[in-house]
Amino acid sequence: MKNKIKVYRAMHDLTQEDLARAIGVTRQTILAIEKGKYVPSLDLAFRISRYFKVNIEEVFTYEDEVRTVGID
Amino acid sequence: MKKNIFYLIIGFVALLLLAVFWYSVENFTPVFSMIAFVLGVIVIYAAYRRVDDYIEDERSARITEKAALRTFQVFWVCFCAFSILEVMNLLYMPHFSREHWFERSSTTGLLEVMSPRMIGYIQLGLLCLMIFLYVGFRFYYAKKYGEWETDEE
Repeated sequence: MKNKIKVYRAMHDLTQEDLARAIGVTRQTILAIEKGKYVPSLDLAFRISRYFKVNIEEVFTYEDEVRTVGID
Repeated sequence: MKKNIFYLIIGFVALLLLAVFWYSVENFTPVFSMIAFVLGVIVIYAAYRRVDDYIEDERSARITEKAALRTFQVFWVCFCAFSILEVMNLLYMPHFSREHWFERSSTTGLLEVMSPRMIGYIQLGLLCLMIFLYVGFRFYYAKKYGEWETDEE
């Protein structure tokens, strides 16, 4: 899952802390999503896209990825 | 109330509980430690309700959930394997040697390889191991889900 949160943040002149506070999550969560370390739930993805007043597909794009075997 | 003050209160309550426990042991009155435990839980709960800078979002909930799940998986395998081993020992495992079969009358009865007290201690040790396992898994998943990433661009 790829996202353009960083781009939209820059467009709205927001820091990670600002966005996190507005959405109701921690800054680490925004950072983890931006870096692709954490895939947000549908609910959180909708909240983020709704905050930027765009459709969810404009912020998040799904891409097939090769899954590695390990402790998931 | 700040989160760190809440953690300090937990530590303070734990110390008090420990002191009351040993006081009740020395005075042969378990009711002290029982009352102290209930009061400790109430104090911690009241303090938890007053914490205002603690945000538990879905990522942190997921880290907790995954760490707990993996801990239980590993723990139950170890715990059950050890318990089954001891039950097999206590219940006299079947032998397949001819000599043992002919001399079975002299060896019937419970075969105690490890004393029940030792079994209890090892099972308690496994329970304590669960705490370390949980902390380890929590570190693993926290790192995996970007807990300590610090860049702000």
